[in-house]
Amino acid sequence: MKCAKIHPNLPAFVLGGLESQEDAEVRRHLASCSDCRRELEELRKVNRALEAAPPPANPPSHLKDEILSQVRAEQRYLSTEDESSVAEERASSTIARSKNLRIILSSAAAAAVVAFVAIGVLLGFQREEPPVATIQLVPTPQEAAGLEGYWGVAEIRPQPSGNQQVELKLNNFEQPKPNSYYELWFVSGESRISAGSFTSVGKGETRVMLNAPPETRNYHTLLITEEHVDERPAPGDEAALKGVVP
Amino acid sequence: MARLTGPEVEAAISALYDRYSRTVYGVGLKILGDRPSAEELVQDVFLKVWRSAGTFDSSRSSFSTWLYRVTRSCALDLYRKRASRIPQVSDGEPHIAIARDSSAGPQEVVDESWLSWRVSRALEVLDAPHREVIELAYFGGLSQREISERTGMPLGTVKTRTTRAFKSLRTELTIQDSSREPIR
Repeated sequence: MKCAKIHPNLPAFVLGGLESQEDAEVRRHLASCSDCRRELEELRKVNRALEAAPPPANPPSHLKDEILSQVRAEQRYLSTEDESSVAEERASSTIARSKNLRIILSSAAAAAVVAFVAIGVLLGFQREEPPVATIQLVPTPQEAAGLEGYWGVAEIRPQPSGNQQVELKLNNFEQPKPNSYYELWFVSGESRISAGSFTSVGKGETRVMLNAPPETRNYHTLLITEEHVDERPAPGDEAALKGVVP
Repeated sequence: MARLTGPEVEAAISALYDRYSRTVYGVGLKILGDRPSAEELVQDVFLKVWRSAGTFDSSRSSFSTWLYRVTRSCALDLYRKRASRIPQVSDGEPHIAIARDSSAGPQEVVDESWLSWRVSRALEVLDAPHREVIELAYFGGLSQREISERTGMPLGTVKTRTTRAFKSLRTELTIQDSSREPIR
């Protein structure tokens, strides 16, 4: 048995989830394959770590309401304090909390690759952070027909300058027609802001790094269009991929 | 940076709760051993996040590490508070039946929670389909074939997802380990 076949079964083997015949096959293979034995040891480390995992359980739904209710009550209390020194101290404490909540959210969002669009803290944190938003790009209906393995991902990272760095990872994204190129747009309603133009290698993965101005933070749809050289600079109509910022 | 308004604060706490409450609750079950205490822990932790947000310094630690410290501190307080109580037994749900060594002191028990926290966070950042196969396999004790039958997923998909989930967990735990700062 070749490693290429046995490797996919190793995690299940570690978890004890194989049928007896498969389990025996893996054991036989391990006896003669040092690569797989090394891989097995790595997987066992993960398995041992899982022993420390807490049980998968959700807290009761009422808890969240109770916590938010308590926060509301404390906010009301703080906001009705007099203009005394004590009140000033409490108020400044509230401001500090609020500022930090905003920072916490940015950090937490970056860590989990989720955007908090609703509270306006989508962007603007640390340059080393992972993307604030990862957006699936799917073919527009007119492009989807007959295409296979054609998809893309856009990762958006805030920059210290305020710009948004956009990394496109496009799979099997066909090359533009002759004298044409692709352009990435941030779209909001009828408004568009260009994030730059690029070409594609066609089959396989195309990676592109573009930058968009800070104004695009409030533009929650991404659009890639095919543009023609020497034509009007306005956006074209041939939309190829589209994604929505969560 | 502008001050958050009341609704924004609520939205912020709400978002953080959605992201981290399962981990806090799970670690609470692991450390404290019963659901009422774990619920009390969740409440204490998120109120402390609101009250102590000013102490979070993003240049010194990640939010997750800071929240772990808050959780550990609250758990120790709860542990001590109910030290004289008789530990409750499982309510019959197998995943709540946590065995604890009663000989260990509160500090020792809580200190073990760091690994629980890290593994929980690694599981939480898996996407739902990959987390599902790990939870069914590890916590549910199901074989790959049983997972396939239970979920309707083709057996090959179950195996592929298990492999990818293990790979992601390994990567995530390695990242967490390499970025780990001393937990005091």
